[in-house]
Amino acid sequence: MIAALMVLLPLAVALALPWAKRPAVHRPLAVLGVAATLALGVFATGGAGSVEVPWVPALGTYFALDATGAGGVLARIAAAVMLPTVLWAGARVADRPQLFLAWLLATLAGLVGIFLARDLVLFYVFWELTLLPALAMLAGWGLTHRRAATIKYLLYAVAGSFAMLLSVLAIRPLSGAEGYRFDQLLAAAPLLDPLTQTWIFAGFAFAFAIKLPIFPLHVWLIDVHEQNHASGAADVAGTLYKVGGFGLFAWAMPLLPAGATALAPLGLALGAFTAVYAAMIATRHAHLKRALAYASLSHMGIVAVGLFSLHLAGQSGSMALLAAQMVTTGGMFLVSGMLHDRRGTFELEAFGGLARSAPALAAVTLLVLFASVGVPGLANFPGEFLSLLGAFQSAPAAAVVAVLASIALGAFGVGLYQRLFQGEARERTHEIKPLEVAVFAPIVALTLWLGVAPAANLTVFEREAAAAQVAAAPVAPPTDAQASGGAR
Amino acid sequence: MSLPPTLGDLVVLLPVVTLIVFAALTLLFGVFTRERNALGGLALTGVIAALAFTVFLWLQAREGGVAVTALGGAFRGDALSYAFSFVILVGAGLALVLADGHRVRLELDQPELHPLLLLAAAGGLVMVSAGDLVTLLLGLEIMSLAVYVLAAWRERSRVSEEAGMKYFLLGAFASAVLVYGIALTFGATGRFDFAGIAAAAAAPGFASLGLLLLGALFVLIGLAFKVGFAPFHQWLPDVYTGAPTPVTAFMSVVVKTAAFGALLRATGTLVEALGVGPIGEVLPGVLVVLIGLTMVVGNFGALLQSGVKRMLAYSAVAHAGYVGLAVLAGGDAGIQAASYYLFTYTFASVAAFAVLLSLMDDDDRGDRLERLAGLGRRRPWLAGALAVVMLSLAGFPPFAGFIGKVVVFQAAIAAGHAALAVVGIATAVVAVVFYARVVMTMYMREPDAHAPAARPVPRRTAVVLSIGVAATVVFGLFPGLWLDFIARAPWWSAGF
Repeated sequence: MIAALMVLLPLAVALALPWAKRPAVHRPLAVLGVAATLALGVFATGGAGSVEVPWVPALGTYFALDATGAGGVLARIAAAVMLPTVLWAGARVADRPQLFLAWLLATLAGLVGIFLARDLVLFYVFWELTLLPALAMLAGWGLTHRRAATIKYLLYAVAGSFAMLLSVLAIRPLSGAEGYRFDQLLAAAPLLDPLTQTWIFAGFAFAFAIKLPIFPLHVWLIDVHEQNHASGAADVAGTLYKVGGFGLFAWAMPLLPAGATALAPLGLALGAFTAVYAAMIATRHAHLKRALAYASLSHMGIVAVGLFSLHLAGQSGSMALLAAQMVTTGGMFLVSGMLHDRRGTFELEAFGGLARSAPALAAVTLLVLFASVGVPGLANFPGEFLSLLGAFQSAPAAAVVAVLASIALGAFGVGLYQRLFQGEARERTHEIKPLEVAVFAPIVALTLWLGVAPAANLTVFEREAAAAQVAAAPVAPPTDAQASGGAR
Repeated sequence: MSLPPTLGDLVVLLPVVTLIVFAALTLLFGVFTRERNALGGLALTGVIAALAFTVFLWLQAREGGVAVTALGGAFRGDALSYAFSFVILVGAGLALVLADGHRVRLELDQPELHPLLLLAAAGGLVMVSAGDLVTLLLGLEIMSLAVYVLAAWRERSRVSEEAGMKYFLLGAFASAVLVYGIALTFGATGRFDFAGIAAAAAAPGFASLGLLLLGALFVLIGLAFKVGFAPFHQWLPDVYTGAPTPVTAFMSVVVKTAAFGALLRATGTLVEALGVGPIGEVLPGVLVVLIGLTMVVGNFGALLQSGVKRMLAYSAVAHAGYVGLAVLAGGDAGIQAASYYLFTYTFASVAAFAVLLSLMDDDDRGDRLERLAGLGRRRPWLAGALAVVMLSLAGFPPFAGFIGKVVVFQAAIAAGHAALAVVGIATAVVAVVFYARVVMTMYMREPDAHAPAARPVPRRTAVVLSIGVAATVVFGLFPGLWLDFIARAPWWSAGF
């Protein structure tokens, strides 16, 4: 029951916000909505953490949500990162702030839905629903060239979504599953012959690769981040939209093990290439948001390598990296908004030496930035380490390439910090403000918590990855697979 | 055939009879009164009464669990007839109110407007309830003759006259093809009724399979013209654009639904009659080609249009392709999927035309995309309504159009047409572009300096629009309201 409220509450607040007449209530209402969602997430354990109601019996779909698994962890972290984002956006977005906040809340509702859905059609519905706020925030509040970026984003996203829709609609009739619930599909889909599995998996993988994203389907991401509202709030929402990796982990790989095995080499190659390619570009880029977008892209390459290693440690590690990415990349986009506030641009040459006049801001940024490039003890490290560890077990070549990327990312982190905060100071700047302290507080807390005590989340991820591998095991041996292929 | 009709026959025919009686009443009163609003009310009463009878008969038949027939089997009351009659009547009612709201402004105010709309709907009801090919043809002609006239309704308008003329000439030709097909089918089997055709073809020693196939192909082409399958869709964009906009709205829902009901019956019977041999594969094969072509031509055609009305016309072709997937799938699942798709398309289409009507000039022109620029800020409600409709037509959840896509694609894949489903999905991406273009124009472009002043939306149009948008949302969130209702009837295939 609580799981359903986690979706419905932010949605209700999103629908209520545009009607709130007094500007003074907009931000408190939005913050309260997010905080309440987060609180619900904390209490959504055990029996209260899941809900299951038939939705359309004629189609075999259920309104089934579950907050006790890996998705629950991601949903809670998404809500926790959304809290400072809403706080920040409410103060920084001047044009129709109540609508912008409403879209942020709608994003949260959609994200929670994606992460908690235990019915494939429901998952798809939330997946598409979350696209609308992202497009609306870009189209309505973006910068000068937002039109082209919106169209590009829309085309990529829809091409992926529809390919996935086809796979969603094929998986049940072809496998003869009773319904679209995860357990119903899990009982039937892994028994499909490998060729069918590969085709269906390809549909899913295409959509997930666009959303991850990995090369060569990443083009939309960079433009979207560059053209989003300068506060960076919409970018955080985009960063939280980490459904590509999650979709592979929670849906495509468990349901279609033979398909995953068949396409794993491609996934590893593209993932590893993305990681290095994007990290190299990130180190050289002169535009703060584009550089951050490329760095984030590089991490997604590592996530892909971890997932397609099809190894327990790699898969659970990549989920942990995904969760950490939400916090650290999200935090960095908020920093970009704060810096834009001070200089009115994202061009890196306009910055430098900020640490002299704003040492506290520099220190906090350093923490988040270093966390994002995988410094041990901070958020990204456990996930990144385990992803690469898993990859080394089953795909050493891809792992070696991905390690190069993580080294390049380290160089990127140091370089970026130097260009922003060290060197000659051209002019004085504001020290960190009270609002910014409030925005940073949850980010810093999460960064430390995910770095210092990763075990709690990793156990959940590992349990789910292991369960999926057990379910896949009886059909994995090639002799078995060939037999069923021949019988068809 | 048992003539004269009994009282039991009359009960089954009640919805059709109601419409015809009200058509006669409005015609009579139209002669004596200048009070056209009262005529509109009378006509709407007729539609609502027919709707009430349909629902009553449907519920009764569900309880009884068997299909009822009238006139010796020429007229059927089964789930297909009731579901499609329901959709036709809902569409007719909405289009009627829409026409009433703009009747005076667009100079459509002749007394015969309402009777003709009612007669066309009655023809549609006969088509979807037909138990044999002759009744089907009869219904088709009742409907078509009324719509030919309605398409040319605007006096002194060359485009409207052209639309009517084009529709009439090509429509008459298509009817001739259909008659030819019926004759050949009769020649092969000696029967007109669907059950008889199937039985005759299944009888041992049936030798005229080739002749039956020829007849079936002619029947298919005749009906493909009406539903707008490519390459028989050529008339559709011109007629939809040229006809008065309320009539276009009427055609896009009533004519389309009726034609699909008839197509489902005819192809369902003929595919079964032709069997599973090499000859039996021809008709589904032709359907696959037609439907694939329709989805491609409709969506790419719509992409190239700069006028919204013409874009909606091509998009009507594209949606015919998607319903075609359900026709191809056939059986209970196909009929259910098609009925849901057409039901929700009815609301979306009428709502889209309602918005368009509120923005177009008094000469029924001015549908250029630029006119929508800045609508998001000038008319937030109107823009929001159109945005919902466009998203639904594009297949975005949680709107009804999404579930529509789900049911037809699932039916097609389950019936083994995965390749065609891939074509459908690929062209659906194209569709997103032209629907999104409308939305982005409303919200991202500044209006022209010389944009016409905003006209208030007539109250009746606002009602139609509200119903359309509300239904699009409600049936998207709770598709079970329709799908579970019709799925529970156990006697679907009994119709054939």
